[in-house]
Amino acid sequence: MPPSHARHLVAEVLDKQIVDAKKHKLGKVDGLVIVLRDGKPPRVAYIECGAAVVARRLGRWCERLVLALNRRLGVRDEPRYRIAWSKVTKIDINVEVDVDEYPLLALEEWLREHIVGRIPFSK
Amino acid sequence: MKSSFLQMALGIITAIGGFLEVGSVATAAQAGASHRYGLIWSIVLGTVCLIFLIEMSGRLAAISRHTIADAVRERFGFDFAIWPRLAELLVNFLVLGAEIGGICLGLKVLTGIDTRWWVVPVALFLWFVLWVGTLNVIENSTSILGLLTIAFVVAAVKMHPDWLPLARGAVAPVFPPRSESGHYWFTAVSIIGATISPYMVYFYSSGAVEDGWREKDLPANRVTAVVGMSFGALMSIAVLVASAEVFHSRGIDISRYEQIALVLTPALHRWGWPIFGAALAVCCFGAAVEISLASAYSVAQTFGWNWGEDEKPVKRARFSLTYTILIFLSIVPILLGVDPLKQTIVSMALTAIILPLAILPFLLLLNDETFVGTHRNGPIGNTVVVITIFLASIIALVAVPLEIIGGS
Repeated sequence: MPPSHARHLVAEVLDKQIVDAKKHKLGKVDGLVIVLRDGKPPRVAYIECGAAVVARRLGRWCERLVLALNRRLGVRDEPRYRIAWSKVTKIDINVEVDVDEYPLLALEEWLREHIVGRIPFSK
Repeated sequence: MKSSFLQMALGIITAIGGFLEVGSVATAAQAGASHRYGLIWSIVLGTVCLIFLIEMSGRLAAISRHTIADAVRERFGFDFAIWPRLAELLVNFLVLGAEIGGICLGLKVLTGIDTRWWVVPVALFLWFVLWVGTLNVIENSTSILGLLTIAFVVAAVKMHPDWLPLARGAVAPVFPPRSESGHYWFTAVSIIGATISPYMVYFYSSGAVEDGWREKDLPANRVTAVVGMSFGALMSIAVLVASAEVFHSRGIDISRYEQIALVLTPALHRWGWPIFGAALAVCCFGAAVEISLASAYSVAQTFGWNWGEDEKPVKRARFSLTYTILIFLSIVPILLGVDPLKQTIVSMALTAIILPLAILPFLLLLNDETFVGTHRNGPIGNTVVVITIFLASIIALVAVPLEIIGGS
């Protein structure tokens, strides 16, 4: 994002839809990571997303539950995903990011491979 | 021109698919049998409120390009948005079970084969249609078949109702004797719950966003909301009136679904029975489609997944699995032997209870400049919606325990 562009993080970024350059929906902005620096203003480092991130907003118990489920099912290693703020290319009705890997879609792919793809007429 | 035609189609489809469904048929038939025309006002009140809500949901989509679920999460945050979503899913689960029960009853009337044999095949059929079909094909075919429900209007008119008391019942409550007043108010809120179905509002909102509505579509949106929902209300009133003529005049109370099936027989003779069966099956199927999709849409929108009915299931794995799980879970109560009529009536009253939670956040968005700019709600729309949903919710909170104590 251009540095001169003022943003109200909670109103304009948090909980928005994340899309890639082709408008594929990748998830929502579930969290924001801000780095505090000595003698300098804090800096927005990442947008965060994933089941464990939203779960934490409901409480620690919920986060632990999601992490336990995740380990049990073996969907992926880390149900938190961080996208560097520098990868955010546009904020309008969506938050557009420039990424070339899709760990956010791990659950979608796992379900596609293990369940949906095995049901007839799904392709 | 083409776009406003499409838009009207969405409204009429939403109305035929979602308005007259098992809840409206059951509550309207019970109301007519027990209180003659005394509860028509609750259909009218519910419909006026629903017209405002449908119009608002189209307006939100056209101006902000957000579906309701997206906008609620964005404005109020995930930690709030999850609660109305969970409440709505729980109610949708019960209502979907009731609709599937309604389809099975319709098929029983048509074929004579008992309801319980139909439950699993119907659930499989519903799932299969959603799995392979596209939205347009599914919705167009159910809404064309849904025109069968005009039979209720024909029957109601043929039985020569008393127009004056009917009109009086449409504008104000006709207070029953004290001993019946608990049941009267319970039925009133069940009717309002059956009329203001939050799933219709969510379904319409997702359709409008997918069709890419813009500011220029607002006039057509207004017309669609009024015409589509009034059409649905007319059918509900017809069921109530026909039921009043058939059952109330003979002093019969409705306690089983099979009784309702007789409602068309005096007017349409031997055609009445099969037409009732077919009309019930079709309109419940339309509603079941809308509930399944509305639930999957709003879960997907809350979590930011890809959503849409027109892609193959492998491309929308989480979305497709959501409605799959919901459909097969929803038949568990019927399979366990829960009475479908009781489930229907209770889930309609439950809908009324959760209305403030489901509707209020949405109403706040329609008053928020960052979402709708200059197209904010006027005082009339706000007032009608707030009064209706709170009244319905409070009466339901009082009437449901009374009905459960009194009914058992």
